[in-house]
Formats: sequence, C-alpha cells, structure tokens
Amino acid sequence: MRRPAVWAVAALPVVFLVYLFVYPLGRILWISLSDGDGFRELLSDPRIRTAVWFTVWQAGVSTLLTVVAAFPLTAVVSRFRFPGRDLVKAWVTVPFVLPTVVVGTAFLALGAERSVVTILAAHVFYNLAVVVRTLSGVWSRIDPSLVEAARSLGASRTRAFLEVTLPLLRPALAAAASIVFLFTFTSFGVVLILGGLRYRTIEVEIYHQAVTLLDLSTAGALAVIQLVGVSAIMFMYSRYQETRAVRFRLVPEAASLRRPATPGQRVVVAAVVSTTLAAQTLPLVALLARSLEGRAAGWRFLLDPGRLAIRPGEAILNSLTFAAVTALIATGVGLASAHVITRDPGALGRAFDTLLMLPLGTSAVTIGFGFLVALDWPVDLRGTAALVPLAHALVAVPFVVRATVPGLRAIRPELREAAAVLGASPRRVWREIDLPLIARAAAVGSGFAAAVSLGEFGATSFIVRPDTITVPTLIFRLLSRPGSVTFGGAMALAVVLMLLTAGVILAVDRFRTGELGSF
Amino acid sequence: MLEVRMVTKRFGETTALDRVELTVTDGEVMGLLGPSGCGKSTLLRVIAGLETPDEGRIFWDGEDITRTPPHLRRFGLMFQGYALFPHRTVAENVAFGLRMRGLSPAEIRRRVDEVLSWVGMGGMGDRGIEGLSGGEQQRVALARTLAPQPRLVMLDEPLGALDRLLRERLIVEIRELLSRNRTTALYVTHDHTEVAAVADRVAVMREGRIVQVGRWTDIRSEPADRWVAEFVGV
Repeated sequence: MRRPAVWAVAALPVVFLVYLFVYPLGRILWISLSDGDGFRELLSDPRIRTAVWFTVWQAGVSTLLTVVAAFPLTAVVSRFRFPGRDLVKAWVTVPFVLPTVVVGTAFLALGAERSVVTILAAHVFYNLAVVVRTLSGVWSRIDPSLVEAARSLGASRTRAFLEVTLPLLRPALAAAASIVFLFTFTSFGVVLILGGLRYRTIEVEIYHQAVTLLDLSTAGALAVIQLVGVSAIMFMYSRYQETRAVRFRLVPEAASLRRPATPGQRVVVAAVVSTTLAAQTLPLVALLARSLEGRAAGWRFLLDPGRLAIRPGEAILNSLTFAAVTALIATGVGLASAHVITRDPGALGRAFDTLLMLPLGTSAVTIGFGFLVALDWPVDLRGTAALVPLAHALVAVPFVVRATVPGLRAIRPELREAAAVLGASPRRVWREIDLPLIARAAAVGSGFAAAVSLGEFGATSFIVRPDTITVPTLIFRLLSRPGSVTFGGAMALAVVLMLLTAGVILAVDRFRTGELGSF
Repeated sequence: MLEVRMVTKRFGETTALDRVELTVTDGEVMGLLGPSGCGKSTLLRVIAGLETPDEGRIFWDGEDITRTPPHLRRFGLMFQGYALFPHRTVAENVAFGLRMRGLSPAEIRRRVDEVLSWVGMGGMGDRGIEGLSGGEQQRVALARTLAPQPRLVMLDEPLGALDRLLRERLIVEIRELLSRNRTTALYVTHDHTEVAAVADRVAVMREGRIVQVGRWTDIRSEPADRWVAEFVGV
C-alpha cells in the first residue's frame, strides 16, 4: 500500500542523479575509451605519470602530517575540560568550512612560495578539524575507568594509552585519515593556486588537459583513473569499518573530562591550545592584512577595477544567487531522498543511501568535466546559467540528506500512525508531522548547501561563463594576472568570500542543535 | 458494528494473528485480554488499517474496509505510548483529528475545550507536551482520540505505564466517558481488573487466536479450557 508512494517520491532524486551524475560519467568513460589514445597516451606521457605519483604521495604525506599536527589538540580537548573548550573546537573548524580558494589565497597572503611545502601546509591547515573532531568525538567519551584499570594493573601512562586508548580509537582514526586522504587526493583549488605550473594533482591535470589543451580523451582517461582511485579509497574505508569496528560503550563527555589538575597540565593545555589556534588563525589574519596593504589598494580595486573587464559586484551577486538556487534544489532533492531512505527499509532505501554519497566522493572537477561533455543532450544546457547551480546542488544534496536523515529516523512511527488514524492522508502526515519535526535540520542542510555553493570552485571552473562568473573563479582569475593591484584585489575578494561563508555558517549554527554529523 | 472475519497476519515465520473472528456491536465495550505478545496490539493495528491482513476481511456495518487506508476509516486508536505530537500543544494535539475532518476553527475550539474538560484538563490547552506528567499525557491522548467522535475507539493498554493509584482512578473515568457517549470500543489490556471494570464483553487471546468470548463473569465461571482458567485465575 505504501510502496507506490515511495517510488513516486524516489523519482525526483533518481532523475536528478541519473541525468546529472551517472549519464555524464558514462559520457566521460565513452570519450576516454572511444578515442583509443587516451589511456595509451597516459602511460607514455611522463608528465602524467608524475601527476599521478604526486597525487598519491602528497595525499599520504598530507594525511600523516595532519594527524600528527592534530594530535596534541585532540588529546587536550579529549581529556580536559577548560574554559572556552567548545569555542576552541569551533575555531579550529573555521578553515574546514572555508572555500579552498580562500585557503589557497590565504597561504599566498602569508608570503609563502608556490611549493610542495606550502601545499602540504595548506592541506594540514584545511583538514586539521576533521581529525580533531572525529577523534575527540570518541576519545572524550571513552570510559576513564578503562585506563584507570590498566594503570592499576601496572601499565605506565604511555603503555595505558598504547594498549587501551589507541586500539579503541583506531576506527575513528581510520575514518579521519580516510577522509583527509580523500580530500587531499582530490585537492584542486589549493593545488591549482599554490602549485603553479610545476605541481599538479590528477585533478589539476584533468582541468589543464580539458580546458587549456582541449584534449578531452586524455582528460577523460584521467578522470576515470581518478574515479577508480576514489572508489578504492571509499571501498577500503567501508571494509575496514565493517571488519575492525570494536563495539564498546561510550560514556557522556561530562563523565570523562577532567579539569587540568597540576600546574604542568595547565601549562600543556595552554601551550597546545594557543599554538594550534595561532596556526589556524595566522593565514586568515595575513589575508585580511594583505587586502588592506597600500591604503587598502585591493579594496579600492574591487570598487573600481578601471579598464579591466572585471565586475566584482556582479560576481558577488551571481554567487549569492547561485547559492540561493542551489539551496532550493538541494533541499528539494535532499528531502525527497531522505524520505525514501528512512521510509523504505529495503533495498531501495539502502541503495539510495549509498548512491547519493557518490557525488560527494567524486571529484568536483570530474563533475564539471562531465557536465561539459554531456549536458548538450536532450537540450543544450551548456549555454545556460542553470549549469552552475545544478553542479553545486549535486555536491550539496548529501549535506541535506545527512542533516535530515537522523531526525527523520528519530520520529517514532506511532506519531505518523496516530496522525493517519486521526484522518491525515500520507501527504498530510508528511506536512503535519515529518516536516515540522525536521524543519530545523532541513534549514541546517540548506545552509550548508548554500555554503558549499558559495565556495565551489572545481566544477564551476569548467562550466562558468564570463557573464555569470562566481567569486571563487574571479579570485582565481585575479591571481593569475600579474601585478600587485590585482593581487590585492584577489586578497580583498577572498576576504569577502570568507565573510559570506562565515555568515552563512554562523546563521546555520543558530539552528543547529547537535554536533556536526559526519561530513 | 465491527466484524473481523478469519483474519490472519504473519510477520516472517511467526503468525501474529491466526484466523481471528470477532464481532463488536454498536455501543459495546469489548475487552481484549491476553498475555503480552499474544497479538492484541497487532489486531488493533489491523483494524485501524496500519497493517494489512494476509488473509481474512474486516467489515464495518457490512461494508468491507479491509483495504481502506487508515485515514479514511474514521476510527480512533489510543497508542500504548500515547504518541502525542511533541511539536504541538495540548490543544493542538486534541484539535488534530478535527482539523483533518475540516471543521471550522470556531467549532474546533469549542470541541477541544469540551473534550479537555471531560478528561479534567480544562484550561491546560496551551501547555506543551514535554512538561506533562504520565497521567496528564494519558488524558490528553484519550481526549485526542475521542475528540473527532470516531465510529470505533480502540485503546491499547491505555493505563499501562501508570502507577496503581492513578490507574484505579482513571479506569472509572474512562468507563464513564465511554458509556456517556455510548461509544463502540475495543479495550486492550493484560490486566484483569481493568477488563472487569470497563468491558461489557471480553475476548481472551492466546498466541494469535481468540480462545473465548463472553461476559467476564461467565468466562470466570465457565472457562473454555484449562489455560483460560489459569490465565483468568479461577
């Protein structure tokens, strides 16, 4: 009786996903295979071999460095309660929610060379919060009596950590490391800005081949390699989670956190917190400072770009419009998907849960590239402005789904049944029960969708047109021009983008009740 | 008049309802008594339309309603855990069924006040659900079920979670409310004292089957078999 209704609701996300994701990927695969040269060229071209190798090792090293850099703060916020602890956790998360273009620009503002070290540093800066939040979420809730038991059985502090705490943290550590590896493996904006012409990830190489050299078959072949890599990472991650997850009881944070007792502990907490905060803040301060240099030359340039055919005001307006449209589309598709996932316990719901996450794992560049080669059918969308918010929505839908599914699952079935018995039709039940109960979560999800759209760079760089340029693409364009005035302009525009994103996230934060779920 | 004819409901391997036969005449309060897990709640859910039976038919006044969706049956079901809407006030909860029937706001307000005063919750309409005590929640749930004047009222262990003193007081109130409106009702419980106080007739259930139907005093004096005799405590 209920199944046809679920299928009807499923139609919208299915069409959305098939047309905007599956079909373009098919076209990419087709292009990479039909030419015949694509893969052969790849294997013979040393530049491309270098790019693949660079992608893998920088992702590995970035992940390792991020875990190491995050460790002291993670340990401190997981074990101690101190004034401003929540604020510290929120503050180190700021870089993670910023657009990659802003992060890349901020490191240029620091005066860093375009080099490997800078790329690695930017990756650590960007991803630190993933490790801190994922690890401390478990660590701070491990029953302290486990460690105390180990200590009383004769284990030293270090030994107790290695034998008790670390094994319990391993799944969370694996999760955090996989996410960081995935993000840095598909890193585009940061590498494009900080790598110059010398350092290229697969992602940047796809862009270079498709947009600069117009070699679609090589770009297609690279995108396929990228996709295989991403799928492998996600597969290994889920396998690991299934086989290695140790189930144990978590206690509330309040039961495990302690005040730093000795002066030594207080010094350690203060030192760790202040250095990490300083490192997570410095690039952003540098960005602001640079934009104000030369009597705010950057800002004056934004207001009056002179003879250059650049209209920053228009870019800001475009970005805001796209963000609003993206939020609208993503919320509609996301709510329909969340409905299917939570209402159909069978194969359909499970398939949805997995399929919808794929665009998030797929690199943004692949999505943009796919749009470019595929969306001329059945109608040519490529000349229209619709392409940008559609691409953004594809990436943003998982955020709405992730935000609303837990809320929908938490609604006791009797509430819907009570409403039905009292005379509410299935549609009415959704409007009267489900919607009001998840309204806040949906608002959070659409807020994140808007933030994603504001900062999206990878896909946009393929499909954006001069008259609908967005803020991140304009920043990149300014950075590629010589001259200190345009450089200052890029800094100022990055500050604008940072403030816009922060504004959206802060607005969302007021709606948020629980912790930020898994990303 | 409700007629349940040869209704069977399976969940995988287990048979929750096994060829159940039951008739509830107009204005009658039928008690449904049995140990937990015997299928009482499933029977209510099938009658309410929340589950579709695998076999058998359900009739109301001779009309086959087996496939009618729950929102079109005009039955009332009071859930074991009350299922009050947490995002709505006491009055809004009670008004829900009336809104679904399309009543005017004035009529709704009048009816809500009336029903709330029946259950001793007059003047508490603006309260939220979260702050209510167990007994108060039970009263609101009862009011919400009765407000739209359903053709059949089903109460699933309505006093289950309450303490003894409160149960004894509320059982009298429920009896009065049901007889005042000459309500046709099905009252599910595993508690003998409740059926004795509330029901005109009693159906005893065991492992998905109805093993005996009759007046409580008759069941006690002439139990159908040894199991019934032990269960009703003769």
